[in-house]
Amino acid sequence: MKRLVLPLFVGILFLVVQTTFLPFFPIHRVRPDLLLIFTLSLGFLFPPISGGILAFFMGYLMDLFSGNALGFYVLSRSLVFFAVHFSKERVYLEGFYSQFLFAFIFAIGEGIFILILMNALQPVTFVKLYPLFFTILLPQSFFTGLVTPFFFLLFKKGALLLFRQPEKGIKERG
Amino acid sequence: MRIRDFFLSRRYSLPIFIVLFLLLALILMSLRAKQRKGVDFFDAFVMEVCSPFQKGATFMIKTVQGTFQQYVFLIGLEEENRRLKQKIAQLQEQNHQMKEMKLANERLRELLQFREKNSSSMIGAEVIARDPSSWFKSVTIDKGERDGVKKGMAVISSAGVIGQILKTASHYAIVLLLTDYNSAIDSIVQRTRAKAIVEGKGENRCQLKYLLRADEVAVGDIVVTAGLGGNFPKGLMIGEIKRVDKQGHGVFQYAELAPSVDLTKLEEVFVIVEPLLISPPQEERGKKGKRTKK
Repeated sequence: MKRLVLPLFVGILFLVVQTTFLPFFPIHRVRPDLLLIFTLSLGFLFPPISGGILAFFMGYLMDLFSGNALGFYVLSRSLVFFAVHFSKERVYLEGFYSQFLFAFIFAIGEGIFILILMNALQPVTFVKLYPLFFTILLPQSFFTGLVTPFFFLLFKKGALLLFRQPEKGIKERG
Repeated sequence: MRIRDFFLSRRYSLPIFIVLFLLLALILMSLRAKQRKGVDFFDAFVMEVCSPFQKGATFMIKTVQGTFQQYVFLIGLEEENRRLKQKIAQLQEQNHQMKEMKLANERLRELLQFREKNSSSMIGAEVIARDPSSWFKSVTIDKGERDGVKKGMAVISSAGVIGQILKTASHYAIVLLLTDYNSAIDSIVQRTRAKAIVEGKGENRCQLKYLLRADEVAVGDIVVTAGLGGNFPKGLMIGEIKRVDKQGHGVFQYAELAPSVDLTKLEEVFVIVEPLLISPPQEERGKKGKRTKK
């Protein structure tokens, strides 16, 4: 239970920071997506089921506090979690650049996915949306990637509180 | 194989869970699209749990920011500046309202005799959080159903229209800003009375949709609410036209609008809980019989 409740509160804390502290920065358009970084680290540190539940809830929180009426993030964050979980054995994530690139690619990928969903399910034409790729998505993904190594380190240390040996614990639990 | 064995089997359990998660996400999207009550109830519950943290964080930020701005950086100047800005906003609003009233008087003197029955009743609310994503434009306010706030109600400030209520909880509500892609407000161009719909454009911009090509509009024209939807009173300032594009074909022309309110710096807002009621003229009222508009 501790392994589910504690990360849940961390997620809520990140949501609070993302919705209150970060918009106070002068260039709030390029604020990093902390909940995405948290979801990425869940993919590394948590087993598929409890991690999946947490990622689902993180997406739900994003949907709840955004103007998004349909709930795209609940789907996209779950997909991000499983994509990370099943690709973690195949990527080398020890240095700054690899972690930056990893988060950057996932942020861009999720952004494109949201754009496609918006185009498909809401009456917003793609012509109106594609400039946002350069004005919002690219800078935001860049900043998300930039702060990711710091948060990965933080989460890795935090995971020691939950699992004595994070990687081993995950493998044992499947 | 029995169903229980199938779910407990290590070979199948993980793929089944993944499919279930994704299916659940799709079901949730579908329920939201249909605006089912169960989802609203759960949304309200989670919002009630999370929003106090946001309120606390905003209070903390404002306290720290206030201390720095008022005592450390410039003593007194910030306060004076804020007061003057507020005064300018009030005067601008009065000016627009007077212009609107003048035009309305001239028009109605010739055609109809409208009479205002009630004034709109508003409640003040504080913005406690902003949209966590960059795609959508919304803010969270510290007033909810307990204060009389309901879905669809208009949200304004002294400078003009801000948006409308999207989701509600007991003590909190989410406001969809007029710059969001999903926002649409009935409007009229103040000078020419051309009707259009103001739609969000994502960034701090809106566009006028369904504006007839034959209608005359120019850069600098003020756009106000039409009051047709029932949520917004007539004549509230929405913004100023920044660009008009008559190129291309079709019945409509395109105009870009800058909102009168700086939506990136929202702090306090007003929710209109009772829209302005305008009684129909005598003759029309006679035709309609006893039917009254609420």
